Amino acid sequence: MEMIDYQDDGLFNSGHVACGGCVEALSLRVILNTVGKDAVAVVPPSCTAVICGGYPMSSVNIPVFHTTLESGAASASGVKRALMAKGKHDTTVLCIAGDGGTYDIGLQALSSAAERNEDILYICFDNEGYMNTGGQKSSSTPLNAATGSTPGGKDTRKKNLIEILAAHRIPYIATASPSHVNDLAAKVEKAKGIRGMKVIIVLIPCLPGWGVADNAAVKTARMGVESGVFPLFEVEDGVTYTMNTDGKSRPVGDYLSLQKRYRHLTDDGVAAIQSEVDQDWQRLQQRVAVG
Amino acid sequence: MSSQPSPLWTHTPSSVRMTGTWRSASPDYRTLPSPCLGACPVDGRIAVWVRQVKEKDYRGAWLTLADNNPFPAIAGRICHHPCESACNRQYLDETVGICSLERFVGDMALAEGWAFDKPDTERSESVAVIGGGPAGLSAAYQLRRRGYQVSLYESKDQLGGLLRYGIPAYRLEKAILDGEIQRILDLGVDVHLNAEVGDADALKALHDKHDAVYLATGASRSKALPGLDYSQPWVMDSADFLAATNAGEECTLGKRIVVIGGGSAAMDVARTARRLGREVTVLSLEPEDQLPAQRVEVDEAMEEDVTFVTGAMMQSAGANGDGLVLNCIKVNFQAGEKRGVFTIDPIDGSEFTLSADAVIPSIGQDADITRWQGVVADDGPVVGTGSDWQTATPGVFAGGDLASMDRFVTQAIGMGKQAAVEIARYIGSGEDRDTFPELTIVPYKAISSDYYPDVARHVPANTDVAGRLENFNEVQQRLEHTDALAEAERCFSCGTCIFCDNCYLYCPDMAITKLENGYEVKSDYCKGCGLCVAECPTGSVMMYEEG
Repeated sequence: MEMIDYQDDGLFNSGHVACGGCVEALSLRVILNTVGKDAVAVVPPSCTAVICGGYPMSSVNIPVFHTTLESGAASASGVKRALMAKGKHDTTVLCIAGDGGTYDIGLQALSSAAERNEDILYICFDNEGYMNTGGQKSSSTPLNAATGSTPGGKDTRKKNLIEILAAHRIPYIATASPSHVNDLAAKVEKAKGIRGMKVIIVLIPCLPGWGVADNAAVKTARMGVESGVFPLFEVEDGVTYTMNTDGKSRPVGDYLSLQKRYRHLTDDGVAAIQSEVDQDWQRLQQRVAVG
Repeated sequence: MSSQPSPLWTHTPSSVRMTGTWRSASPDYRTLPSPCLGACPVDGRIAVWVRQVKEKDYRGAWLTLADNNPFPAIAGRICHHPCESACNRQYLDETVGICSLERFVGDMALAEGWAFDKPDTERSESVAVIGGGPAGLSAAYQLRRRGYQVSLYESKDQLGGLLRYGIPAYRLEKAILDGEIQRILDLGVDVHLNAEVGDADALKALHDKHDAVYLATGASRSKALPGLDYSQPWVMDSADFLAATNAGEECTLGKRIVVIGGGSAAMDVARTARRLGREVTVLSLEPEDQLPAQRVEVDEAMEEDVTFVTGAMMQSAGANGDGLVLNCIKVNFQAGEKRGVFTIDPIDGSEFTLSADAVIPSIGQDADITRWQGVVADDGPVVGTGSDWQTATPGVFAGGDLASMDRFVTQAIGMGKQAAVEIARYIGSGEDRDTFPELTIVPYKAISSDYYPDVARHVPANTDVAGRLENFNEVQQRLEHTDALAEAERCFSCGTCIFCDNCYLYCPDMAITKLENGYEVKSDYCKGCGLCVAECPTGSVMMYEEG
């Protein structure tokens, strides 16, 4: 069995208010400790904002700037430029946003920052909906998933943000999962060493939002990766695709069955998702082959 | 009112907030017994030594094995391995090949000449061990390790008991047996061969001379098959047959042999006879799927062209020309609640005959307990003892086949160990019993099986069937080194922490502290989510309701 080998340097504190078992907090722990002390985070409204803050307390031991929902990437750009102006060239600026602040409301700012190739590391904690405000759908919510605003299941597919970002030809884009901690840490480490715009999208199974058991978010994320629903890969310069796992080894049912947001699904509904995943997987492999 | 306004930024770490109050259940590290340990007749710490094999600490693995059993090379060959039947890995793919790993370690210990450490302190008290079979040798070993003086009395001219006289060399090579016995004797045992303790007076004399006595003379009297005339030259008792052939004596029985019985000894007789060029039929009361022998023994016997006639009994035997005719009938066999207890119901009209030249009944053995009348209770099939293996006479203990109907070599080894502990307690060592009170055995669902990809069991090759019948060389072979390592990797280490740090690293609340030799839950912060438990690959941490 593969051992996890990242080092915890105490950059994330106990006592934060994430739900018990939340893998967004877990991912934050891995990312903060991998990036290290010389960093500033910019956080738009999101679960992360709540987890980091709660005035007068803070759970993170680096400075965090809370900004508005639509301006995460823009604020991060400004913070980075201000640091540069002060001669702090090596300080990593992290923008940590949810999928609402990335796929939907923050997309304009993100696209602009990507187009300018700002030197920031943008982390999207993708829990596929507005889970902090009661679980409404976002454009990241996948096909057939039930949310507060799509109680019968969403009838359109998840927006493919990777392809949007790839079209900007930024230096580094990656997907990551809290089930694959070594991979997540390695990607953060790699991104830290790249100048320019870096985006890492982390799959975050949301306990209340997805209807996942308190102890099962890591397992759910693992099933997401192994079933090919959420493949782990990297895109460099928008064109070079690299897979980080050995292929998909499970049917999507192994992933869906752990989540109440899919419990209304009939066999046909599962088959539709399987078919979508198979086609996306094939398309991804074609890109890997070309790269 | 303060003249200083509060700053705009946060200034207090969140760790002042005690999120532990959210919790309704708490993870706890408890070393729970693995299913293999629960099933092991010698209480072997299997999960521990297999992990030592994984880490290539072979000597450490051997020492762990030898804590409970001085015969890993022997047990690795012939144990009925209930550990494997209990193994949690069977619910993922196949059980771990524990027995073949044990043999791997045991053989390495012999090849490397590893010896047992002499006891730290020698004690003056002495114990007489009567019977040099697995139970007696195990007790002698455990007593010597504790510093007691041991005198071992064996009625035959060599030690080993059933291991030497009952188990054929193709299952247990004599050099292995000799090697593992010698290692015990090297601890300093006063051995008396050809020393029968034939009556109560002889036993009393030994009891007077020593501080305690351990009786382990086994079950050496063959059960008699009703209606069979044992005085006929074509009848030979199975124990006599095995003792003679194991000693290399020539077999004078005719060409066609019928072995009556379906247990391990019957398989040993049948396969030995095949190696002596005989045609062999096994006739058993039990249907094939209920034969008391281990399945692998039956399979290997079938490979060696032993014919099985199951679910039938012999009613009479008589001369027929140069040979014999056995009159048999099919029966309905109904197993009872206990091993060895059953009912049979002959099926009318199902009579048939078998032709043969000789019959070897192999239907089990009884203990000879009447010779010590007045010292031990002799009303049962075995010597009566308390749970401390002490007989009616204080200071006289008994074990192995003499005192139990659990007729397996490793059961006897385990009983020898337990008796040694009890004898030490009787003499006054203050030693504690080795017990696992009220502990739940780690269930499969406690294992995070996602960490274990499907890997087929590594099975050592058997020798070719064709070559087997030409000699008594061992049939089952040793695992190759690389296969042994790969097989050890398959072990879940149930209930045995492997210090992988998963619990520590997967905690979203930093509520686990790493200690030098384990982990501790910070109850101030643990929210009780159970992620550490879900991601523990060994089931070493579990959730418990608090209070």
